Amino acid sequence: MSQSQDFFYESVQDPKTIKDFLQSLMEGIEKGNIALSSNGEEIVLNPSDMLKFSVKAKVKGEASKLSLKISWKEAKKVNIEVEDNLEIKSK
Amino acid sequence: MEGIKENFKFLIAETQKQVNATLDLLVNPDGSNYEKIYNRDDYIDNLKTIIENKCFARINATINIPDKEINEIRAIHIAGVNLERIADNCVNIIRQFGYLEDFDFINSYSYKDQFDLIRDALSRINRVLENSDMTGALTICKAEHELDEKYKVIFDRIMSQLKTGQNTQNLITTLFIFRYLERIGDSLLNIGEALIFAIVGEKIKIHQFQSLQRVLSKSGFDGDISDIDFQGIWGTKSGCHISRLEQRPSSTAETRESIFKEGNLQKIKAEKDNLEKWGELFPGLTPRVYSYNEDSGSASILVEFLPGHTFDESVINADEELLRSGFISLRETVRRVWTETRKDEAISTDYIKQILTRLEHINQLHPELNRFELDIGQTKIRSSNELFEIGTQIEREIKAPFSVLIHGDFNANNIIFDYDINRIYFIDLYRSRSYDYVQDISVFLVSNFRIPVFAEELRARLNWIIEKFYSFARGMAEDWNDDTFEARLTLALARSFYTSTRFELNFEFAKEMCLRAYYLLEKLFAHKQGNIAWEKFHLPQSVLYY
Repeated sequence: MSQSQDFFYESVQDPKTIKDFLQSLMEGIEKGNIALSSNGEEIVLNPSDMLKFSVKAKVKGEASKLSLKISWKEAKKVNIEVEDNLEIKSK
Repeated sequence: MEGIKENFKFLIAETQKQVNATLDLLVNPDGSNYEKIYNRDDYIDNLKTIIENKCFARINATINIPDKEINEIRAIHIAGVNLERIADNCVNIIRQFGYLEDFDFINSYSYKDQFDLIRDALSRINRVLENSDMTGALTICKAEHELDEKYKVIFDRIMSQLKTGQNTQNLITTLFIFRYLERIGDSLLNIGEALIFAIVGEKIKIHQFQSLQRVLSKSGFDGDISDIDFQGIWGTKSGCHISRLEQRPSSTAETRESIFKEGNLQKIKAEKDNLEKWGELFPGLTPRVYSYNEDSGSASILVEFLPGHTFDESVINADEELLRSGFISLRETVRRVWTETRKDEAISTDYIKQILTRLEHINQLHPELNRFELDIGQTKIRSSNELFEIGTQIEREIKAPFSVLIHGDFNANNIIFDYDINRIYFIDLYRSRSYDYVQDISVFLVSNFRIPVFAEELRARLNWIIEKFYSFARGMAEDWNDDTFEARLTLALARSFYTSTRFELNFEFAKEMCLRAYYLLEKLFAHKQGNIAWEKFHLPQSVLYY
């Protein structure tokens, strides 16, 4: 099993700043590269073409919550060489 | 084992006594017999339980019991349960007898023949088991049919007598008594079938057995049925009973293995017709048909058994060299079939309709996967039904430019790969027809995707075969200027992913496939909204890999 790496960040923000954060994440997703670092330790995420995306919202009394989750899995392939398509001549 | 057999002989003997005592009571109503019959019933119950315990203990406590012995134990267990049921029905008969207002009333109906049939069948059980006597086992089975016929005559007679409105209590009681005799027949049939199981090692229903005998004799087999080695149940697939048979070496110099299928007439007939058609077009690629037989509503077929491993098994287990040559063989076989059967005539497809016809079944297993319409801010998420409607509309706009002879159920497990001679065979061709090759491509790709194997190195092999086959197929499409290939494949993949969820109990994995189906339909919809030609549509290829 490969080692797991974690990153965590928590803050209080106004909508404008959150928009900036999301914007920067959106750009990273588009480029396929999001770098996150804390205390000099860096995690680089490479979002693939197939991303799982879920949106969860909850209102309970005074408290509201909106969670966005983007997850993916790298699809690995073995490397078995096969020569190019053979042309089978029927004549 | 001897102990079990001893108890079993006692159980047969006690059941015979019970049947005889019941007949005696009907002939000479005498109170002294009642008690004897009731008491014996408890003893029989105990014997059955003892046999049951011993059978399970034997299987549980012994390692490496030979198959033959296991089969015998299973047969004795089933026969034991049914003997006890026969004895119970004897008690039921004498209970009913007590309700007759006139004991002599029953004598106006013949019941001795029924008792003779039952007694004859019971007397054969032990001999059949000891001597693997197939004819005897069949005779026991046939007793059920004869008892049914006799019951029918009496039932009709009592029904018409009831219409007179007289003697109702006697008539109904008599009807019940004969009904119990008929039910004894059902138990005898179960016993006969259990004995056939002990002899041939195969669970086979009597009507299947009769069709097997018929197809075997049509195929030129004239030996005894017990010379056939049944290789366990291969399982029932699409309502067909499938088993693998081998003629024992003693019968002929060369053994001939075959597959026997019995089931739905339309399916089996379609399979036979298609196998014959493929056999003419591509000799040796599909199994030969040895014989075929139709019965009312069902049919059976005996086909050649092709040696090798299923392709999905090979992808997971074969070494890299084998896998490479297996893929090349498959690719060249498919190329040949497509090239030689291609008909240049545009045809409509029905991929989304294939989802809709299976929808009820899919929703049954995972109702949560059915999506309702949602809004996320300004973004509208379409419901599954709406996506299927959109897909149907799109499908009307895109025709396949040509057709080929498709396999029709091109699952990786319907492809056999013989490692020794590097050959590919196709099996299970009952859905084969002239159609869009994209159907076979999509089914093959998703049949690999949906294999519930999650270890990284095995997934990497599945992703590999998917990629290789996809790039081969796309290459063919390019060569043939099939410009809407990717759009049609997207529809077909949506279908294959979505319908595959009905076989997947693992909810997370089923959801994975379902969400991919929705994603593909959403992609098609977005493309349609952009008013761009379908030739320009590209399949998001990463959807194929997990």
